[in-house]
Amino acid sequence: MALINVKINGTDVEIEEGSTILEASKIAGYEVPTLCHAEGLEPFTSCFLCVVKIDGGRGNLVPSCATKVTDGMSVTVESDEINESRRMNLNLLLSDHSGDCVAPCTVACPSSIDIQGFLALVREGRESDAAKLIRETAPIPGALGRICPRPCETACRRNRVEESISICYMKRHISDTEIKEFGEVQLPEPASDTNKSVAIIGAGPAGMTAAYFLRLQGHSVTVFEAHAKSGGMLRYGIPYYRLTDQTLKDEFDAIEKLGVEVKYNTVIGRDMTAKHLEADYDALVIAIGAQGASSMRVEGEDLPGVYSGIDYLGQIGDGGDPDIGNKVVVVGGGNTAIDVARTAVRKGADVTVLYRRTRAEMPASSFEIDEALHEGVKIDFLAAPVKVEQSANGVVVRTIRMELGEPDASGRRRPMPVEGSEFAIEASAVISAIGQKVVTDGIIDTGVGLTRWGTIVADPHTFMTDRPGIFTCGDCQTGADIAVRAVGNARKAAYSVNQFLNGDEVTGEPEQFNSTMGALEDISEEVFKGYEKKPKVEMPLIGDKERVTTFVEIETGFSRDKAKEEAERCLECGCEAANECKLRIYSTEYGADQSYFAGDIRDFQNDHTHATIKMEVNKCINCGACVRACAEIKGFNVLAYVGRGFGTRMVSPFGRSLVDTICDGCGECVTVCPTAGIMYQKGAKPEKVEEPIKEAQKGAVK
Amino acid sequence: MENTRVFVGLGSCGIAAGAQDIYDYMETELKPAGTDLEVTSCVGMCYAEPIVEIEYEGERRRYGYVDKKFADELLESVKTGTFPEKNLIAQSDEGKEYLDRQVKIVLKNCGIINPESIDEYLEADGYKALTKCVEEYKPEEVVSIVKDSGLKGRGGAGFLTGLKWSFLAGAKGDYKYLVCNADEGDPGAFMDRSVLEGDPHKVIEGMLIAAYATGAKEGVIYCRAEYPLAIKRLNIAIKAGEEKNFIGDNILGTDFSFHLHVKEGAGAFVCGEETALMASIEGKRGMPRLRPPFPANSGINKSPTNINNVETYGNVPFIILNGAESFNKYAFKNSYGTKVFALAGKIKRGGLIEVPMGLTIREIVTEIGGGTSSGRPVKAVQMGGPAGGCIPERLFDTPIDYDSINETGAIMGSGGMVVMDDSTCMVDVARYFLAFTQNESCGKCTFCRIGTKRMLEILTRITDGKGEMEDLDKLVELAEHISKTSLCGLGQLAPNPVLTTIKYFREEYEAHIKDHKCPAGVCKSLITIQVIPDKCTGCTLCARVCPVSAIEGERKGIHVIDPETCTRCGLCIEACNFDAIEVV
Repeated sequence: MALINVKINGTDVEIEEGSTILEASKIAGYEVPTLCHAEGLEPFTSCFLCVVKIDGGRGNLVPSCATKVTDGMSVTVESDEINESRRMNLNLLLSDHSGDCVAPCTVACPSSIDIQGFLALVREGRESDAAKLIRETAPIPGALGRICPRPCETACRRNRVEESISICYMKRHISDTEIKEFGEVQLPEPASDTNKSVAIIGAGPAGMTAAYFLRLQGHSVTVFEAHAKSGGMLRYGIPYYRLTDQTLKDEFDAIEKLGVEVKYNTVIGRDMTAKHLEADYDALVIAIGAQGASSMRVEGEDLPGVYSGIDYLGQIGDGGDPDIGNKVVVVGGGNTAIDVARTAVRKGADVTVLYRRTRAEMPASSFEIDEALHEGVKIDFLAAPVKVEQSANGVVVRTIRMELGEPDASGRRRPMPVEGSEFAIEASAVISAIGQKVVTDGIIDTGVGLTRWGTIVADPHTFMTDRPGIFTCGDCQTGADIAVRAVGNARKAAYSVNQFLNGDEVTGEPEQFNSTMGALEDISEEVFKGYEKKPKVEMPLIGDKERVTTFVEIETGFSRDKAKEEAERCLECGCEAANECKLRIYSTEYGADQSYFAGDIRDFQNDHTHATIKMEVNKCINCGACVRACAEIKGFNVLAYVGRGFGTRMVSPFGRSLVDTICDGCGECVTVCPTAGIMYQKGAKPEKVEEPIKEAQKGAVK
Repeated sequence: MENTRVFVGLGSCGIAAGAQDIYDYMETELKPAGTDLEVTSCVGMCYAEPIVEIEYEGERRRYGYVDKKFADELLESVKTGTFPEKNLIAQSDEGKEYLDRQVKIVLKNCGIINPESIDEYLEADGYKALTKCVEEYKPEEVVSIVKDSGLKGRGGAGFLTGLKWSFLAGAKGDYKYLVCNADEGDPGAFMDRSVLEGDPHKVIEGMLIAAYATGAKEGVIYCRAEYPLAIKRLNIAIKAGEEKNFIGDNILGTDFSFHLHVKEGAGAFVCGEETALMASIEGKRGMPRLRPPFPANSGINKSPTNINNVETYGNVPFIILNGAESFNKYAFKNSYGTKVFALAGKIKRGGLIEVPMGLTIREIVTEIGGGTSSGRPVKAVQMGGPAGGCIPERLFDTPIDYDSINETGAIMGSGGMVVMDDSTCMVDVARYFLAFTQNESCGKCTFCRIGTKRMLEILTRITDGKGEMEDLDKLVELAEHISKTSLCGLGQLAPNPVLTTIKYFREEYEAHIKDHKCPAGVCKSLITIQVIPDKCTGCTLCARVCPVSAIEGERKGIHVIDPETCTRCGLCIEACNFDAIEVV
């Protein structure tokens, strides 16, 4: 064959006559994306993702997989116009692609924990591997597995069958099992030293997570902590009956064992300045939490006998025992209010919680509220304090009835006082837990900006503040929030800090495109057909009497058998092909948006009848590669284009199931499928290669 | 009477209007009397079907609107030799308006001869052009004549026919195919059907001449199975042609051989696209493929192939017989000859017409067609079917030629011309055509399969009154991507009906979106049907025809329509004898 000369985006390429633009582009160093074209098949031009523009041509875009080069041809294979066409193309394909790349539990998890992956490992009895897998994104599974409010379980698709998987407890089980087995947390090896230093203010979940990931990158990490112990709000805001001192020790001490230095009892702003840290270290991470109590803004809140919930729990956390008497009023409806109430119960008090709205609006986790009620806490809904007065035996809380009015900015109905409904409650102490605020006194000298809510300004993706080199994460950036978000944000912040330290552009943790089947309630009933109803494995608890009189951990954990049984319930929503799916890779690359074109979408449709091959037509993008592979390579016609228009499908003709065709499971179709439209059945892939856990066991991570 | 012949127009249009009954009825009377009763096909005056012609002493009288009662009159006149003066549709002023501006090359024999009789075709100079070719011209000379004539492909794209033939003539390969594309699929178009039903031999002769010119050995007429009468008459014509040695081996005693057969298509619109059509002929699913390779190099079974439309072949015998000049004397800009149009929609005189290039749309609509059937103001014509566009009344002075029509954003297309009056909603029209294209997309290319669906969804939202102004931008954005990045004409041209209506009737889109009003009163979600109290006589007719019992009222009392129950079907409006019901 004769050689001819072509220009690809200005680069001269010499290539054999009869070659395609796609092939010439490759030589020129351009990877033109294609979904429908596969090695060994005739070009077909269905996906139209590989479009390029022939310079001086008609102005249309041509598919490079099938268009042959001619001598002297000049082709543009990358330009704004072409990229825009590819992005639109992907937007359209995604608008008719029905599947989850990543399981919705992981999507919902602010720490992006690979839940589907760790459940698979638990099923195989590999808890210590599961612990390693979790620590790739979140280093404190034992703590999170005890106290997390579980956004994952709300998103869990199993809710549509009967109830969610017990995901949160599973993390605790994994961590406990690992520690039981090895006596301590199994840590990865940090990278070799980089001679870069990072100062982190705060040894709570955010600070220590950032420390963990930065230390693993080989940086020298020093954490400054005001308290005597690490753990932050996990220790000083959550009572030990929920999260034990031992668990905190196991997990936080492990981070120190990696080589992270923690300077305890060191208050920034008193013992040294933040400005000083900024000067002495290569980067600074502010993770000071939201440790100030919000005021009740009622007369008498400074009287003796009135406490803030944070102070009260903080003293308990440090081993103290403030005298609150035997009749306690707790004000607030969040998790802290419930923690305070349950702690006071254990101190022998009769406890009433005042909450100004109803249970439906209560921000505390529903199961925490149930537990509190079970332990004898009384909750007086639609009641708010208006004044606290001194009395002979303690205090009198003047309280007013509320009623719900119009929804406010948060969407919750605004509580309105009912005129003339005041009543008095006698109490030995009032503990207010109505909110927390960030105390920025110690770090304000760094010059970082604050929001109108008093939180630290940061880029929501990189977590760098408005001062280069200073990063922030945790409650001080988000306002009081859940620990799992602090952990996730800290990991992301650490990624950015690492980029900064390496002198790279600070772009933050990369995010992969994620296709979703939609909101839980919108998913077709078809998806959940055929699953047997099997309720959650229940968490064993200690006896009621012991509960209300001691600080012993209430929940005693799953046995390995029970954990396995629970893990079996996982529906495995995340896509098996998520890590190699071309649609996903290109959608990430071109910034495609699944919601750009909302409209009809193909129904859930699968064919699992065949022993070797399975089809998930809802994930098919009609590239036709499987149809052609079957016809061109195998000489069979098991699959065909069926129907017309938007409803065209690649399936066996005449409504036949795969098992009723002559398909012998050769797998040529699977090899060429760019998505997960057609796959091997589990374990049916020929010449199965043992792969390391990372690839074989992992679900996909955001 | 012996010197009398009676013809009944039995094209599909005539049969649909009841011409077969008239034929059967007249047969029982005429046969015993020994009067010739003959079959002919559509003469193009579809608005006047059923049509009966009577030839008496060499003079032909064409009667339209023939029902049984009038048929009796005609039968009587055959006996007496005194013919009625009414319903003489060709000789009337109206008939003259309809016919005088037309130039019939392709349609010359349609409705005149019996399409099932090769002898009648021969009498009308049939197969003389073929004979002339094989006797007087070398193949390349035939190609030259067709090139000189300026004939362009009448399927819609308008590629020079002679040039296309020269590609096939020059292609390497022993076995070459010739295809006649009779997969007419545009809504409202019936040119090819009428020609095939009315004069199948002319198309066959055109193919034979093309085969002689290009060296093709085998011909396929790809005709949709929904045209059973056309297929029947084609098969009769092929058989007769073979018997007379116009088709087959050693045609007219020369070494020129050509075999021809009909391939029935299953009615997929996309099979009108040449690569999809060839795939279908090969027995595969009709899906387009990338060109190049072009059919002239690699077509049916990878052999060189030429594809022309019915009307294109229909022009060829005339050109050969009368010379290129006789054809290209009808010239406007770069377009030559005539064009057949199926005039349909809200037009007074709908039918099949053939006009010389350069006639304006206005001349066609108002003079030939006689304006709207409703008497309401004309609003637009839709040309080119789902691939074409809507040309507004203000551009009706646009002449009929490929370039001028393209400039409007529509296309010449294969000849569908749908007339719309002011009761047509242009958004609804766009939605209709897009729904058609979306249904007919083969499902191969991303932009066509999903893009047209998303456009359709947006248009549906707008006609439902749920559109937003950004939707217009999204429509245009999608349209540009679809037309730039689709494999075949179906996808590339699918956005045209939307783009032209946005271009010329943007205010209608905006009225739907901003005011939630359909100015034409068509879109059901945006209209209310109500009784005008002053006009209502309380006759109760509307209440009786209402299929959902949405109308209440006492006899002689004013009626009221419940808007919640009303489905906006409009039956009450049609039923009311007092114009007392209106759309608002």
